[in-house]
Amino acid sequence: MRSHPAQGRTRWFGAAALGVAAAAAVAGCGIAGASESSVAHKHTLVIGVYADQPSLGQLKGRDYQGFDIDIARQVAHFMHVSDVRFKTITAEKREGWLQDGTVDLVVGSYSITPERKTKVLFAGPYYVAHQGILVRAADAARVKTVHDLAGRKVCMVPRSVSFPRVQKERGVPALPVQAAGYNDCLNKLVSKELDAVSTDDLILAGLFAKNAAGGGPPLTLVKTSFSDEPYGIGIKQGDVDGCEAVNKAITQMYQQNIPAKLLANQFRSSGLVFTKTVPQFEGCE
Amino acid sequence: MTAVQQQGGAPPAPAPAPQGGPPVPSGGVRPGLADVRARAAALPPRKGVRRAIPRTNSGRIRAFVAGVVVVLVALLLLAWNGVDDARTGVKVIDTAGPQVIATGDLYFRLTDMDAQLAHALLVGDGPAHKSDRDDALARYDASRSKADDALIQAARLARDATERQTARSLLDALGRYEQLAGRALLQDENAPHAPGPPSGKVTALYRTATDMMKLELLPQAYNLTLDNGTIVRHTYEDKRSAVLTGRTVVLVTGLVLLVLLAGFQWSMAKRFRRLLNLPLALTTVAVLVVVAWTAAMLGSEASALSKAKKDGFDSILALARARAIGSSAQADQTRFLLDPARADTYEQVFQSKSQTVLYLPADNLAGYQDEVRALKSLKTSGKQQPILGFLGTEGHRASSDAHALGDVLGGFKKFQANDRQMRDLVAAGNRTQAISLQTGQAATDYAAYDESLLKLAAVHQSTFDKAMKNGKGGTAGWQYALPIAGLVVVLLLVVGIRPRLAEYR
Repeated sequence: MRSHPAQGRTRWFGAAALGVAAAAAVAGCGIAGASESSVAHKHTLVIGVYADQPSLGQLKGRDYQGFDIDIARQVAHFMHVSDVRFKTITAEKREGWLQDGTVDLVVGSYSITPERKTKVLFAGPYYVAHQGILVRAADAARVKTVHDLAGRKVCMVPRSVSFPRVQKERGVPALPVQAAGYNDCLNKLVSKELDAVSTDDLILAGLFAKNAAGGGPPLTLVKTSFSDEPYGIGIKQGDVDGCEAVNKAITQMYQQNIPAKLLANQFRSSGLVFTKTVPQFEGCE
Repeated sequence: MTAVQQQGGAPPAPAPAPQGGPPVPSGGVRPGLADVRARAAALPPRKGVRRAIPRTNSGRIRAFVAGVVVVLVALLLLAWNGVDDARTGVKVIDTAGPQVIATGDLYFRLTDMDAQLAHALLVGDGPAHKSDRDDALARYDASRSKADDALIQAARLARDATERQTARSLLDALGRYEQLAGRALLQDENAPHAPGPPSGKVTALYRTATDMMKLELLPQAYNLTLDNGTIVRHTYEDKRSAVLTGRTVVLVTGLVLLVLLAGFQWSMAKRFRRLLNLPLALTTVAVLVVVAWTAAMLGSEASALSKAKKDGFDSILALARARAIGSSAQADQTRFLLDPARADTYEQVFQSKSQTVLYLPADNLAGYQDEVRALKSLKTSGKQQPILGFLGTEGHRASSDAHALGDVLGGFKKFQANDRQMRDLVAAGNRTQAISLQTGQAATDYAAYDESLLKLAAVHQSTFDKAMKNGKGGTAGWQYALPIAGLVVVLLLVVGIRPRLAEYR
């Protein structure tokens, strides 16, 4: 007899257990997967950088070196990521590689522009470069502003916006001399095939340091700042959490005054004056 | 014996029923029931899950009721969770949204301080321009006080040490800026000049001040506002998706409950040969109503959140930024006149700021201004490629007011046309006329453009307010409605099964 009531109880409990299980299963379905793919939650970061920009992003042996590399390392550090891998990018590949996930971030003198913003998301800028002019020291007295480039042979790198800024934006009738890249511009400046190289001051400062280290003829970096080039950190479009995490890392980096030291390490020799404070961010949305 | 039986008969499930639970046998075991149990006991023992399936009719009824009640409680809890998510979302966005927008004012006020300082230094301290200078200085003071308010608000919204340090650093830089501004003004009074560039010493002081504004104050103010804005974005994304998930979960649980009830009906009809159990049918209808009503409410809460965020908050914030950056571009015109040595820089940043507000590709400022003049409308439809920049994005919103948008474009065109005229005058060596244009008609036109931006923002503000009102109204009274609905369903259920259970007593 005693077993009957016990059985009755089991029946109630059995039914109740089934119901609860059903309810729990139903509730479980609704929990959407969190954004696992966001850069903000990764333990390893693959960062796309340049390998041929003196003092910015340069591959020496098996080591990447330069200001962009230092910034990339610091950003990873403040995002609490210890495993950082670098991958050499080119200007043509960086957007595609961000979109298909080959690289998580791109740190490579990557100017934020409205057109690029339609393809990738930008954290930062981590630095705002300005267009400057590099000339042989002998010409320094005659080239003080961008207008003094009128009638001079100025390096023109295809696809770079720097020469058009001089010629079209400032309306200075400079004479273009084509070169394959800014390293080539430096060679041509040294060999007097052209008179001036005008592009972002950090790139120029890198060329200046390279030339000095290689024992080239004396050069002068003319500070003119007729444009703002905000260097952003490229992220896959839509990864707003990742972008905010990178911005936080950049803010913390500046609050500890790290970029000023990094800039001084790489570019001190050029005599360039650097901005020490955090740039105005582009915003992640 | 009796005690044991009572224990066995009482439901452990939280099924409130009239007169304290289903009828409990009061006397000894009735022969019918004993027979059934004896027969059940005689069957070979079942194993595994099957053991949980009751073998008697009364047992089946109890199991069904228990199942229904459990799923019903789960449904109500899940619905409650959804209501709670919706309420939290609406509450946070309703309070944080306006606060974030208020901090967006910080950038605008700081910019205005620097613009008014430049204006005062440009017109000089001569008797003919005394009132102009006094006006500028009065506006400087007003903006400083509003900047202080916005900064305090922003500091209050700061969520972590990094953001608080940004706020502190802003306060510190603002103090240093004001000191420099005071020195520049004093120095300027000691060296009277006609409208135009002031003395070299004053220019040097102003450069230090405006550089500090550009490099320290404005970036940090902007970044802090961006940080503040993430509160709204995170709340919106979390709560909206939680509400929508809640809706799905309620629908699925509701479906399970309805299937359970239908199965119950079917088995009752089969076993007791009754076509329709009216109270049970009503139970089913009641569940249907609760589920449909809850799902509809959660859906409309999600769309209220979405409307408030996308058509309200995002637009207001974007327009506040467009306004701030536009006014800083206008100040660059004044600086262009004030400091000819840096004319190239100020012209370039004017172009880049104008393009941030409304992006049209061009080689140089003149080309850009030609493009602006040729632009017919900011409005782009859903499939079209949007025009880039703050105003282009605004024009791409389906909700954007076409008329107010037209006024904004008209104002922006005038702003750029005046700029062209001003730079042409300077290029022709007519600096005095350029200055009187900049401080006269161009300033009036700019104020009208600024006003049109505010009007456009007001349209979105009312969208925001309406959505928030709907959001708050949508969940009103649900803390009572849900338990009452649950009680009604349970009552109907009990009324429906009581006579059937009674047959086994």
